[in-house]
Amino acid sequence: MNRRTFLAQSAALATAATTLPRAFGASSSPAAASPSTVVSAPRGKAEHCIFIWLGGGMSQIDTFDPKKRGNSKSAPSLPGTDYDLIDTAVPGVRYTEHLAQTARLAEHVTAVRTVNHTLGIEHALATNYVHTGRPVSGSTIYPSMGSIIAHERGAVSSELPPYLLIGYPSVSRGPGFLGAKHGYIYLVDTESGPAGFMPPEGIDPARVAGRQRLLAPLQQRAADDAVLTDYAEVQREALRLAGPGFMRHFKLGEETASVRQRYGGEFGQRCLLARRLVQAGVRFIEVSHNLNFINGAGWDTHNAGQLNQHILIRELDNALSALISDLQEKRLLDKTLIVMGTEFGRPGQFDSGGGRGHQSSAFSLVLAGGGLRHRGAYGVTDALAGKPVEHSVSVPDFHATVYAALGINPAKDLVNASRPVPITDGGKPIAALFG
Amino acid sequence: MSSPRVTSLLLCVAFALTLGVSAFGAPAGVHVELREPTAGPIATAPWPGETKIAETFTDEVFGFFELPQKYVATGVRADRAFPTLFRATAEVRLPAGKHRLLLRSRGTARLLIDGKKILETPFAQPAAFAVGNAGELPVEPQETYLNLGPEFRFATPGNREEWGAFEFTGAPVTVVLETVIGGIEPKGKKPFRPELGETIVAFSPAGSTAWWLLSPSERTVPYTDAGWAAYEAERRAHLATVNTAARAAKRAESSAYWASRRAAANAWLASTPEVAVPSLRAGFPATNVIDHFIADRIATVAAEYAPLKKGSVDFYRDVKPILETRCFSCHQGAKVKGGLRLDSLAAALKGGKVDGPALIAGHPETSPIIQRITSTDSEEVMPAKGDPLPTKEIDVLKTWIKEGAAWPAFPVTSFALTPLTDDLTFLRRVTLDTAGVVPSESEIAAFRALPAISRRTATIDRLLADPRWADQWMPYWLDVLAENPNLINPTLNNTGPFRWWIYESLLDNKPLDLFVTELIRQEGSERFGGPAGFSVASQNDVPMAAKGIIVSSAFLGVEMKCARCHDAPTHASKQQDLMQLAAMLGAKAIKLPVTSTVAMDHLRLGGREPLIESTLPAGTAVAPAWSFAEFCDEGGAAPLAERPGDPRDRLAALVTAPQNERFAQVMANRIWQRFMDRGLVETVGDWEKSQPSHPELLRWLARELVRSGYDSKALARVILNSHAYQRSTDRSLAATGPLFTAPAPRRIAAEQFVDSLFVATGKPFAVEPVNLDIDSVRTIENALDLGRASRAWMLASTSNERDRPSLMLPRIQAVAEVLEVFGWRGARPDASSGVREVAANVLQPALLSNGTMTTWLTRLSDDHGLTRLALESQSLDALVERLFLRMFTRTPTAMERKIYTDLLRPGYDKRVAPAFAASSGAAPTPPRVRPKYVAWSNHMKSEANSWRLAEEADARRGDPATSRLEPDWRRRLEDVTWALVNAPEWTHIL
Repeated sequence: MNRRTFLAQSAALATAATTLPRAFGASSSPAAASPSTVVSAPRGKAEHCIFIWLGGGMSQIDTFDPKKRGNSKSAPSLPGTDYDLIDTAVPGVRYTEHLAQTARLAEHVTAVRTVNHTLGIEHALATNYVHTGRPVSGSTIYPSMGSIIAHERGAVSSELPPYLLIGYPSVSRGPGFLGAKHGYIYLVDTESGPAGFMPPEGIDPARVAGRQRLLAPLQQRAADDAVLTDYAEVQREALRLAGPGFMRHFKLGEETASVRQRYGGEFGQRCLLARRLVQAGVRFIEVSHNLNFINGAGWDTHNAGQLNQHILIRELDNALSALISDLQEKRLLDKTLIVMGTEFGRPGQFDSGGGRGHQSSAFSLVLAGGGLRHRGAYGVTDALAGKPVEHSVSVPDFHATVYAALGINPAKDLVNASRPVPITDGGKPIAALFG
Repeated sequence: MSSPRVTSLLLCVAFALTLGVSAFGAPAGVHVELREPTAGPIATAPWPGETKIAETFTDEVFGFFELPQKYVATGVRADRAFPTLFRATAEVRLPAGKHRLLLRSRGTARLLIDGKKILETPFAQPAAFAVGNAGELPVEPQETYLNLGPEFRFATPGNREEWGAFEFTGAPVTVVLETVIGGIEPKGKKPFRPELGETIVAFSPAGSTAWWLLSPSERTVPYTDAGWAAYEAERRAHLATVNTAARAAKRAESSAYWASRRAAANAWLASTPEVAVPSLRAGFPATNVIDHFIADRIATVAAEYAPLKKGSVDFYRDVKPILETRCFSCHQGAKVKGGLRLDSLAAALKGGKVDGPALIAGHPETSPIIQRITSTDSEEVMPAKGDPLPTKEIDVLKTWIKEGAAWPAFPVTSFALTPLTDDLTFLRRVTLDTAGVVPSESEIAAFRALPAISRRTATIDRLLADPRWADQWMPYWLDVLAENPNLINPTLNNTGPFRWWIYESLLDNKPLDLFVTELIRQEGSERFGGPAGFSVASQNDVPMAAKGIIVSSAFLGVEMKCARCHDAPTHASKQQDLMQLAAMLGAKAIKLPVTSTVAMDHLRLGGREPLIESTLPAGTAVAPAWSFAEFCDEGGAAPLAERPGDPRDRLAALVTAPQNERFAQVMANRIWQRFMDRGLVETVGDWEKSQPSHPELLRWLARELVRSGYDSKALARVILNSHAYQRSTDRSLAATGPLFTAPAPRRIAAEQFVDSLFVATGKPFAVEPVNLDIDSVRTIENALDLGRASRAWMLASTSNERDRPSLMLPRIQAVAEVLEVFGWRGARPDASSGVREVAANVLQPALLSNGTMTTWLTRLSDDHGLTRLALESQSLDALVERLFLRMFTRTPTAMERKIYTDLLRPGYDKRVAPAFAASSGAAPTPPRVRPKYVAWSNHMKSEANSWRLAEEADARRGDPATSRLEPDWRRRLEDVTWALVNAPEWTHIL
């Protein structure tokens, strides 16, 4: 017997041990981390994570790390923040005017302003780095943050997948060496439902039931086969998930009109869906903010992309603040860590078209909720948010902070074939946010 | 009264009668010259200066979209000069009158009549590049476009056009079409992809609104969407023939050298002892020599097995999996921790350096292995890394030792052979194994028509000659050689698209030694499908080390992954070995960068001795050298190289020399594993981790491979004809056992599954071009065109790391998402053994039941194969039977037949919808518009994002259902189709 068959049999045993069919790894307690790699990392108590992805490179100087006022439209342009600054609920911490609602909730937020990397300023490479916490390797594919959390913590309930993605599939978001089992279920927008679980247009419940009756004899045929039964079993599980029990979590129509309105447009609706999934027991949800039809460029605000950037920021502000306060009202905020990621930031200077280029030497990633000791902002950058001056935070450090907040030891070894791979590449959690 | 279209057709036929022969009496054709610039710097001007003829060929009409490939060396794809001037000349006679002419091109082009330039398109690519490279090409110009008639073919993205009306006298004229391909972008001085796009001259005769491609002969090609599609398909087939002949011609140029290699191989065979073929054991069936070896091994092992005592614990069921998952990573194979091997009883009893024998049979309490796994001392406990063993597993090991530690040589539950499989199961299995798809109805019929005695052998011969052989092997080599092109900016270990070199090698059934030699030589085109594409690993600090890992594992069964940054902890290879190999592949010394080393001081910080060692300091220069003297003596084999002084050529000879028995054995084992589910060496890419189950058979197969001239089809023929291959599966097995008494059901590969679903349903495999730069504004280093996919392997990752809706390819994504959950990797940044291990997971049935691809497969649209099937006049019983033959290569069971005929019987006789009420009441046809397109060039525009979202919604919706079938009945057949597509039986090859 080889490893494959052993794993298959183990899975079968695990299934037999419970009365419920289990499509997904069951919840594991955070304390179950390997004792051979004990380090004195802080441990948080967050149970869920919503990872908001701002693809393209959010301009930190126009959002969470504002500096002196610049001007993108003057000739020559004047380096600096393109908008006015406002105070937040945390004394001494300021954001830009388009984040007014989030600013009022800043005591639940920490903008980590000194994240930086030297992986370059190419979107795909940097996106991969911020998702996996490791530079690309020639000999392995590293798992994403979502897959690691899915792997370490499993789903809250075995009835649910641990990892959902609202956005486009990509290697960066994938399970890498952890294997397909720790991958995501995805949906590209809130209308279409998760790929594979929402019956296509025109296939009503009666037809679904009829189809399943027609499938039954073909499933029966597989009953006595060692390997085909594995498949028949996951097939029954998939059909169950496509049923009303799981799918009702995607019905935003069940929310009141005022709640839906509060969250705003499609991005807000995705955040609302993420909240519903947290309530249902999904462990990790990545929510992409990729509504590029707003300004064409999304967060990649070169040239004319800058002109309508404020619309993007306001939309983000609206949805993020709605999410924070909604989670708070439902007493889920301390259990739910909100992480806002982007592949890099943008320089304080403007390009010739009045937009901004790429900058990885300093940028802001944002944390909210999750039971952390928030402080509005962490770390200090120089006059144009170009370099960290105080409390530099590497991408592995940022990842370690997220894992620690979810009770996961960031130094624990994962096993890639026979090779031990620590969860983070030597990352140290930001101690100031714990305790 | 005839319609305008009919009139124009008549006109055209009239012209054709007057044409047909050139003024010189030779058969009329379009003479094409490909001209390269004569010496000088690369011209960035639109038109190259002085040129000379590099190649010529003849075509039929003025319609071009792709050039015949250029081949170099032994027949590998190569680039032409940048830029190349394309000049097409023909004598054409048009009737007297004022006719319209249309010129279209990708690069700049001009049309000359009798030496006078009458039309010219601009070199628009640089201007488009300036804004399009940033994705900001305005979308508004797409609103205005040329529309010169009711059936006028609109310009496709990236094609420039000019037209005019010109007076002709009726006398023959000389038409010259010139265009520039692979022009140079003036700022960056990088070339654009050398593409023709749709380079054509079309004409529309006076008084007509119809268009034809300009032709010097009676050949007429309507220049409409349908006309062009048919012409393109015809010419693609023609180009494939031309390309095949060109490759053969190039290979013939080095036939003398390869003949000498064959002679050397034969001499080596003659000078070394043959493998004795065992006589057939009594009571065993055999159809060829393979079965003799198999029977001999079964009989031998059965004799050994009998006296072993049995306890409550079964070693292979209960114990081996624990050793495999908990111990083998450090205690298996040639190089182990603490000198302790736990991969055989003898080795475990011999024990390691520290504890001595690992176990004492009958005495778990004193066995060191038990002490180690139960220790609470963090310095002593095993495993050294990771979680300790759960109590359940500890108890299993204790009981096993207590019961005497029985450890048989093989995990055997039964020595009984299964009988030959039935005919149709065989046909399905062998067709999937060679053509990569299920057999069609006509293949089934042809098979049944053959005489029973010879039908299997004849079918094997037919399938080995089928070009789909190449499609079936493509996924394998793409995985093993880690082909990893990307459509846009190279980032994550990307390579060139050397898929086309692999594909052509398989089409040509290239000898495996030549195949490997070409790969190692890395010649030809890097960006357009030559083996030079293998040499690339973008963003990698030592690309050749990445390639060394692939070459050593693929062809020598040596796993060197770990040696990439340090000495391999549990393999024999040191980092030095890999870097020597890398230096040979790169044909120059390698200076080890600090980024490819591990700082040992850092690792030693944490208590226990680190598991790895690093003996090669950063900065060391490593010269090219052969690292595998154990397989092949350098002195004997190196002289076989065509150019022994060239490190690459030398490496190729050392790997592929007949003296290097390891190579032929590794290749034979790979072929065996593909057909037999299990390798004779189970870990096909890592021979340190398992021993051959049949060493004599392995040697015999390897020698047969050498004897055949490294012909993989010859070896396949022997294996496929064996009784061992043709036996029935034992459906209670999860994996094929080491004695090959019966095959286990094998998981179908992702590509086989998807391709088969399209073949069985007859739905056309229609996805977007595998290309994000469809209008060719980018230069060659940042955008690839992988063409139109007709099989699953031709797709590539649409991985949208940028997360932009405009960079999605929704139809490709709909297929790729299914492929991925069944084990396909769109991105292949690292090498793979070639054996995919894909467990059943919930996304597989989910996407098959509700995914977009299933919507296409189960919606009976006009172009759906099952729509055609349902329209045929036949009994309902025949229809259901044919559905089962198409899907499962079997007839339905009585129960299945009843369920589906009962469902489809109501209304069966009236299933064909009455000729739908013609045009009465139908909505008027909307005016034709040129479809908007999204490409890299405009992807940063908000409209492009909205358009793409609309395309995505279209893809999800699928094609409309046919109106030729009565809707209620059609829906029932769709539901049946859905059930058939979702049958678990699809997932395995029986």
